[in-house]
Amino acid sequence: MNATQTIPVAITDFTKRYGAQEAVSNLTLDIERGSICGLLGPNGSGKTTTFKCLLGFARPTSGSMAIEGAPLTPATFEYLGYVPERSALYEWMTGAQHLEFNRRTFKSYDPKRAAELVDLFKVDLKKRVGKLSKGQHTALAIVLAFSTRPRILILDEPASGLDPMFQRAVLDLIIEAAANGATVVFSSHQIGQVERAADRVAILKNGKLIVDGTVDSLKGSEKIVEAIFDHMIPDLNGLAVDPRISRIVRSGRILRAYVNHDSEGVARRINELAPKNVSILDLSLEDIFINAVGDVAAASPNGDR
Amino acid sequence: MSAIFTVDPRSGVPLYLQVIEQVKRHVALGSLAPGEQLPTVKALALDLTINPNTVARAYRDLERDGVIETSPGRGSFVSSNGSSANAHRAIDDVADSILNNAIREVKNLGLDRAQVTATFERQLDRWFPIGEQK
Repeated sequence: MNATQTIPVAITDFTKRYGAQEAVSNLTLDIERGSICGLLGPNGSGKTTTFKCLLGFARPTSGSMAIEGAPLTPATFEYLGYVPERSALYEWMTGAQHLEFNRRTFKSYDPKRAAELVDLFKVDLKKRVGKLSKGQHTALAIVLAFSTRPRILILDEPASGLDPMFQRAVLDLIIEAAANGATVVFSSHQIGQVERAADRVAILKNGKLIVDGTVDSLKGSEKIVEAIFDHMIPDLNGLAVDPRISRIVRSGRILRAYVNHDSEGVARRINELAPKNVSILDLSLEDIFINAVGDVAAASPNGDR
Repeated sequence: MSAIFTVDPRSGVPLYLQVIEQVKRHVALGSLAPGEQLPTVKALALDLTINPNTVARAYRDLERDGVIETSPGRGSFVSSNGSSANAHRAIDDVADSILNNAIREVKNLGLDRAQVTATFERQLDRWFPIGEQK
């Protein structure tokens, strides 16, 4: 099979159960070459379970995970770099010993690259991992992940515990890797990082994929149509079941419809209710996320637009 | 070449559209001259800390619109072919988008066409006093 045609990261109908608890249900996600996919979701939504199974730390209950068209083997890690949520580092070993371990294990290990990254993140290689701060711990994991110049990167919270400068450095590494053709899947609680670096975003809730698309197409289609009425909001005339509208919020004389596509069409329809005026508001990725995850009523229009 | 463009990733406006708008604005203003080389996709993605595919998409659309030209292996350049026509179109595009936003906002205040026109003329008089040609 031609390497450019194989899907670098393919998750097919993946389900993971822990006892009676279904952590992930029927997840299908193909990540294309050169793409950066941001995986978002509240705690307990199944992100880390997905990462664990992608990396072979746990087995899917059903469905499959394929890296470059094949199941994971030890040889996969020659070209797959990863940062797991829970450290895979050994507490009693120093940073230098970890680098040495990777040098011996991987033919693709590039000592010059590793040295650059150690320098960039100011990692103290003489310290045992157990003595490192949370941020330095993450930084060492990043150094190890990128020191083989991998063409696939699977990163669960790769910037956690890092200060803003180092967080930006991690984003730069991800962006640089993708610009060189690498494929990246990463998660972050900081939606702004996904908003910058990712072209694709997948949102999980209760183990189910509820949003999947490019960041730009989501921003192009997900809008709020806001209408202000003179007196009372009239009968909505079936608006609540309009498939283009995912949610309607009323407060006083203001009606807000959260629209998933065709905001212009929805605006025209709402205009028939004779409001004082109708406007279409843009949403940030954070607004889109909160709206999709849905249990918080705090989704708000983006700034003054 | 660094930081001649700025984007706001938190904005609800898709990032590739922001990049397109920025390039057009600089072409219109002449701060990107005909024939001038644009940053590579990778360089601009790293400079703005945004996704490389997003920059690539913006460049593809700019090329389709004739604003830039890309030659494989050499990079992307501001179109020099019919460059003044392109610069004018870029100015029109940017001006349209600025006025579109402004008119939408005042319309949202509940003004009708005649009121918007009156407001617009009041502002025109301020910026282009009577008797002045330009």
